[in-house]
Amino acid sequence: MSASSARRFASRRGLLFGGAAASAGVLLAGCTSNDTGDDEEDSQQAPAAEESEGPPVTIGFAGPQADHGWLNAINENARSRAETYADVTLEITEGSNDTATQIGQIETLINSEVDVLVILPADGIALTQIGLTAMRAGIPVINLDRIFDSPQAYRCWIGGDNYGMGLNAGHFIGEQLRDVQNARVVELSGPDNLELTGQRTQGFDDALANYPNIEKVARQAAEFTVESGQEVMSGLLQAQSEFDALWNHDDDQGVGALRAIDQAGRDEFIMVGGAGARSAMDAIQADNSVLKATVLYPPTMAASAIDLARALGQAKGIGGLAEFEIPSSVTLYSAVVTKENVEQYLPTGFN
Amino acid sequence: MESAQTPLLTLTGITKSFPGVRALDGVDLDVAPGEVHCLLGQNGAGKSTLIKVISGAQPPDTGELAWQGETVAIGSPTAAMRLGIATIYQELDLVEHLSVAENVHLGHEASSAGFIRRGAARAATAALLSRLGHPEISPDRIVSTLSAAGRQVVSMARALSHEARLIIMDEPSAVLDPDEVGNLFRIVRDLTSEGVAIVYISHRLEEIREIGDRVTVLKDGRAVARGLPAGTTETREIVALMTGRDIEYAFPERPAPQARESGATPVLAVEGLSRRGEFAPLDLQIQAGEIVGLAGLVGSGRSEVLETIYGARRPDTGRVLVEGRPLRPGNVTAAVRAGLGLAPEERKGQGLFLLDSVTRNVSISSLPRFSRGGWIDRAGERGAAAQFTRELSLRPADPDVQIRTLSGGNQQKAVLARWLLRHCKVLLLDEPTRGVDVGARAELYTLIRRLADDGVAVLLVSSEIPEVLGLADRVLVLREGQVVHTAPARELDEHRVLDLVMEGSQA
Amino acid sequence: MTHGATSEPASSPPLGKPQPDAPPPPAPGKPVGRVLLGRLADVHSLSLIGVLAVLAIIGAITKPDAFLSTDNLQLILTQASVIGVVTVGVTFVIIGGGIDLSVGAIVALASVWCTTVATQDYGMAGMIFTALIVGLGCGLVNGVLIAYGPMVPFVATLAMLASARGLALQITEGRTQVVSVDAVLDLGGRDAYIFGIPPLVLIFAGVTAIGWVLLNRTTFGRRTVAIGGNPEAARLAGIAVKRQRLMIYALSGLCCGIAAFMLVVLSGSGQNTNGNLYELNAIAAAIIGGTLLSGGRGTIIGSVLGVLVFTTITNLFTLNNLDSAGQQIAQGAIIVAAVLLQRRSAAQQP
Repeated sequence: MSASSARRFASRRGLLFGGAAASAGVLLAGCTSNDTGDDEEDSQQAPAAEESEGPPVTIGFAGPQADHGWLNAINENARSRAETYADVTLEITEGSNDTATQIGQIETLINSEVDVLVILPADGIALTQIGLTAMRAGIPVINLDRIFDSPQAYRCWIGGDNYGMGLNAGHFIGEQLRDVQNARVVELSGPDNLELTGQRTQGFDDALANYPNIEKVARQAAEFTVESGQEVMSGLLQAQSEFDALWNHDDDQGVGALRAIDQAGRDEFIMVGGAGARSAMDAIQADNSVLKATVLYPPTMAASAIDLARALGQAKGIGGLAEFEIPSSVTLYSAVVTKENVEQYLPTGFN
Repeated sequence: MESAQTPLLTLTGITKSFPGVRALDGVDLDVAPGEVHCLLGQNGAGKSTLIKVISGAQPPDTGELAWQGETVAIGSPTAAMRLGIATIYQELDLVEHLSVAENVHLGHEASSAGFIRRGAARAATAALLSRLGHPEISPDRIVSTLSAAGRQVVSMARALSHEARLIIMDEPSAVLDPDEVGNLFRIVRDLTSEGVAIVYISHRLEEIREIGDRVTVLKDGRAVARGLPAGTTETREIVALMTGRDIEYAFPERPAPQARESGATPVLAVEGLSRRGEFAPLDLQIQAGEIVGLAGLVGSGRSEVLETIYGARRPDTGRVLVEGRPLRPGNVTAAVRAGLGLAPEERKGQGLFLLDSVTRNVSISSLPRFSRGGWIDRAGERGAAAQFTRELSLRPADPDVQIRTLSGGNQQKAVLARWLLRHCKVLLLDEPTRGVDVGARAELYTLIRRLADDGVAVLLVSSEIPEVLGLADRVLVLREGQVVHTAPARELDEHRVLDLVMEGSQA
Repeated sequence: MTHGATSEPASSPPLGKPQPDAPPPPAPGKPVGRVLLGRLADVHSLSLIGVLAVLAIIGAITKPDAFLSTDNLQLILTQASVIGVVTVGVTFVIIGGGIDLSVGAIVALASVWCTTVATQDYGMAGMIFTALIVGLGCGLVNGVLIAYGPMVPFVATLAMLASARGLALQITEGRTQVVSVDAVLDLGGRDAYIFGIPPLVLIFAGVTAIGWVLLNRTTFGRRTVAIGGNPEAARLAGIAVKRQRLMIYALSGLCCGIAAFMLVVLSGSGQNTNGNLYELNAIAAAIIGGTLLSGGRGTIIGSVLGVLVFTTITNLFTLNNLDSAGQQIAQGAIIVAAVLLQRRSAAQQP
């Protein structure tokens, strides 16, 4: 699982920088240890945001501890994206889940006078104050994913769309089950103590409301871990002897859920995942399990955040838009990855 | 102290029982304002229990307490403090890491709106310390940095800060140097001149003579003498009261001293064993079949000697040999393997597994005998344990009952059975009859003698002098860590030993 | 020389010599029924069986077809097996007067160590070996720190919790390590069932049986109870207390290693978040099973029943599609009820 092995860019038609809105800035996020020796391709596919080299920019990056595949991919995306720019220096802190520690780390970055800050806070509300401090000190802040409490605390927010995830998962399932009478749907959610879980469920329910033939018959919460996914899914399978579709909020816990489904020998339903893990995409491509699709919550947002930071640092706008300034908020689209388009997204899948 | 005035505290018919023991058996006591009332008694006479009853730590089973003539129930230490009763325990109960002022005001901190008024507490503490003649102790000093005497002063300041009218002092001089004792007495006199009453507990008769007004003697949970004048009562009278017994114990007949072959290796040999601050270098040899008694007061170092021989404490100097082979110092497992066994002083705390059955308590030191590859032969174990418990007439006879349900004497028999089963060669007995009733005592004495007859070397510690004299072949008298006398038991009598045991209280 | 080998006085035979006319050890003075009951299950285990029965009735009423099906019973036992094995180890630790807060972290570390690409190259045997060695190793470190440090068990195992979790995170970098060894994956599948019993459940049963024998029939168990009941008395009775402590924590670590491999079989992967809150769940199960937190008393059967109660509650909540908050409240209530019952029954004993 060498994260430092060669990375290459696949087609880069990013949302921000022109091209199809359906695909976020795509880059291969680590962990392709087999995947070496693509140097030529790398050089051909230099970053497209601003081709020309600009004045040097120092970007400070502070994120939480990478104790989850998705968060690890965030770090990798930021790091490798920065490496592709000769004019960008990235100062990255040791990730921490402790609010106080992260505040201290950001203060250090402020004191070392970085040009732009990219912050994925351990807790958005708790770190609002340090965002304000940085902005007052004249350092623009790119707020990544977990949003600060006050718009004054960041120059630009970029993040995923939890409600949209649920919505798109719901619509995909709705379309798949269009012809099924009295269709039964099951939801395996993330931890109920997270706000984002509620948002995803809301989106899912709102989408399903468009399909009167569908009833959501069960919803149980897992903990974003393989272990909990296996445990909760086994119980759900026991409780629901037959259903037509399953939406699982998170591909990591989905590994456990798929294991439980396999152990129970069930295959009468389709499963849709969430987040976009490499293992899920592999399974979708192989098309040999119930997993037919996953809705993205792309960690490539970190790479895009680096692009935004660089543009801010060099006082540029971004290509493909008429504006002089970069937007104050960018919400990513939660694309549905299916067998048909998985080829394109495969490089963004995280481990 | 002639009291036409109302006594400060009156106790009438106080009883208190613990499983197997009647600690207090109808004690009467009265304490007048401004007097130093001394409590005397041997270990186990009921002094500690009486203190606990007065200070609210343990409620009495029956009996009445009156404070300034009015009947009260002292349900808790807090209630006692509210009345004006403070206790200075032997192990001072101070919080080591807090300052002097914080300790003095612990539990009744001067505060406004929840914030402790540190300035006020400091000033009040300084005033108390001056009153006690120790203005040099800073209220900000951390208690753990103080000497034993200093801590005692802090404890007293705490008692005074409660405006105590009655202060109980449990062996206050035990931790003090002679000049510090002088200061203690000065403080006591100052306090009594202000009308504070002191209940003073000590083993040192000469101290009592110097500071005390009246003496109450406790024996077997009863006050055998009340309000004796401390200054004029004969030492012999007090000693007789402390030791005189209602029942003469029947001791088994001692065999004629055997002519031992010279040069025979003693079963137990102790050479120059010492521990700093506990006991001076000690030499001792015990032959097979011999019972040696170690007489001494609490604090004389007798239990420490026993535990050091046993390896439960590591000696500073010296060594212990069993049948000529030296033991690994400070290692109980090695000692047990070599054939030593200990019946510890605190039977429940140090000797028994209270939740376990009699069988399991007896077999615990001999498990390898009943096991192969770690697998216990339970029938064999039970049978062997039952054989001993039957021979020792343990009651009840069922070896499956929990040991905590047994009386003190039967629990002690179980401890002895443990070592019998182990075939031990040396038996160390620390207060083997404490908390044991009269009938069971006689049985235990017979048993101990029979063990010796079977070739076990026995070292017996007891604060009951008749027990040492009646059972042992040879007696060592220990005072403040020094062996002050050694003699065959038949050459000693009780008063002589008491004189030796009690420093300077010769008749 | 053993005593009794010396010359014997004619009057009183030496103590401890078998006497030819000695009657056999007295039979216990209790009715046979009570003894049997007392042996099979103490008051505690009985009350837990009652709780399980109540839960089963609730299940049978609310979900008549799903709850009592063979599939579901297999599921409950399977889900109980991983935490169950951990709980057996923790029960020894608690009976021995200690506490082990590191079990969840050791499970995590052992599960990720045995699922690294390098370890998987050695196949199933290599993975099992790695999991057991890592678990045992962590247990030994705990034991050495506690017995010979000496450190307070709470602190030593808390330190192990932090370090083992950290190391697990470092190994995985937060990634899920998917198992590609077919033999391991197959072990969790339906085809591996032996007479309808999942292999994981068989391992659980085996560990339980060994744990029961170890506690009730061996010197190891006897000494564990002794040092937990009264460490000072144990020391003075000649038990090598330090060595015993070391072995107890090593045993707990070994159980974690076994559980880690079982978890890998169950989830088909190793992840640094594995074993989350196992320490609390295992301690809770042991306590409701009647193990005294202060040591000196406890049963393996009780602990296993405790695990089954918790697992059955989870199952009931899932079957009835109730949310997880209510489940946590129910677990808390059961812990309180069990401990209160424990006090009551202790007070009623003679």
